[in-house]
Amino acid sequence: MTRVGGAIRVDGVDLSFPVRGGGRLPVLDGMTLEIAGGGIVALIGPNGCGKSTLLRVIAGLLAPERGTVDLDTTPIVEPDPRIGLVFQEPRLLPWRSAADNITYPLELAGWPPARRSKRLTELVDLVSLDPGVTGNRPAELSGGTRQRVALARALALEPEVLLLDEPFSALDALSRERFDLELLRLWERAASTILLVTHSIAEAILVADRIVVMSPRPGRVIADIPVELTRPRSIDDLDAAVVSETAREVRRHLGEGEAAA
Amino acid sequence: MSRPAILSVGAALVAFLLLWQAVVIVSGFPPFILPPPAAVLGRLATAWTAGTIQPHLLATLVEVALGFTVGAGLGLIAGYALARSALVERLVSPYLVAAQATPILAVAPLIALWFGPGLAGKVVICSLIVFFPVAVATMVGIRSVDAGLLELGRSLRATRRQILTTLEIPAALPSILGGMRVGVTLAVVGAIVGEWAGAERGLGVLINLARGSLFDIPLMFAALVTIALVGIVLYLAVVLVERRLVGAR
Ligand SMILES: Nc1ncnc2c1ncn2[C@@H]1O[C@H](COP(=O)(O)OP(=O)(O)O)[C@@H](O)[C@H]1O
Ligand SMILES: [Mg+2]
Repeated sequence: MTRVGGAIRVDGVDLSFPVRGGGRLPVLDGMTLEIAGGGIVALIGPNGCGKSTLLRVIAGLLAPERGTVDLDTTPIVEPDPRIGLVFQEPRLLPWRSAADNITYPLELAGWPPARRSKRLTELVDLVSLDPGVTGNRPAELSGGTRQRVALARALALEPEVLLLDEPFSALDALSRERFDLELLRLWERAASTILLVTHSIAEAILVADRIVVMSPRPGRVIADIPVELTRPRSIDDLDAAVVSETAREVRRHLGEGEAAA
Repeated sequence: MSRPAILSVGAALVAFLLLWQAVVIVSGFPPFILPPPAAVLGRLATAWTAGTIQPHLLATLVEVALGFTVGAGLGLIAGYALARSALVERLVSPYLVAAQATPILAVAPLIALWFGPGLAGKVVICSLIVFFPVAVATMVGIRSVDAGLLELGRSLRATRRQILTTLEIPAALPSILGGMRVGVTLAVVGAIVGEWAGAERGLGVLINLARGSLFDIPLMFAALVTIALVGIVLYLAVVLVERRLVGAR
């Protein structure tokens, strides 16, 4: 499963935001994280600990004050086509159809229309989007469908790394489990490295190789827990003994983090 | 338009004409103060067949078209600059507001003095009056662009120009077109005001002629009706553009 490309290395990243009235709010403090190419890692941590900020740094949208981010052997200092980002909200262009939202990155990259529509067909299939709704505007789509469109858009340029910021948190529990399993199948097909921010321990265990627990702000890694479940995984795997063991460990670290803060 | 919509517009027009007729009857004003609607419409028809109105209408339309184009064009550029630069806004907006607060009627003679009685002066007055609503609407529209979408654009390495054409303009379009709706009707006002400050041709000139040397009050009303129709048609044209561009959202 592991492949050569798509390894992410976050090394000693510090980042703070200026606060109104002077001073700075430290958000990331010596954040260090390594993900092997093709790996799938879940990032979990209390609200406001800097998870989204970390994803922005990895995506090249925010420059850290100290420390580095590397993708394979190149430092990330600006947005990179090898990295796809899915925000917590779908962030679709409301005046475009679902299809035109999916191909938006291709359009920006200067792909000719024929090539775009060919890739669109592949992407619609890849994220299991109902082809009947690709002509609809985002306002006419359900929340889950919108997130599928956002996912397809992030995959459009075949990124080696996929960063997902609580992508399914707005969905109900059942759809969420379905999305988690689909994400796994997609990961097997697209073979990209995935970093998934989540609030759900169950979701983290179901999809990830490792669960990285962050401390309350300023965020750093306080635990890195391997998930000892074989693949391919299914919903039934969540009943295994190892799951409750892993969940207990994640919860313990989250609790310790809260207590220390 | 749907059938009920056409019917209700027609009904409102009939009601307006009836009200007008009623005022004429009740007030007992002589036709040289308030002519009845039939007289005005009759005069409109004869003036049209005699070719009295067309040259004036054409002159006004040219002024409106040029003035609107220039004013709206400059308004778009200024509105974008105001939205994107705090410095520009701080430096420029007091003058903009002051210019807008000064009645165009008071400025028109000065502009006529500077630019002469030809087309240029009218275009300047028209564009001055169109500029402000379009600039403000553009500024508001560009500022309303969702920061999340701008970040998305950045994450996809959109160029400055791509951000403008694929995010800022589409997002600002409803607001900009709202400003243009106001602007296009003001452009008609600007043209008439400009013509009053001195001109040889135009619907404003026709009103002056009809009221003064000709003393043909039905003709004056016929000119007024024409002006109103021009305003309505231009307004509807913008609404139509709006429907095509943003209606499907
Ligand atoms: N652009 C910003 N400016 C100032 N503060 C910010 C900004 N973005 C995030 N923050 C602050 O940084 C902290 C971490 O935010 P975030 O990374 O979104 O947390 P998480 O995703 O873990 O919930 C929060 O306290 C948030 O208010
Ligand atoms: Mg977040």
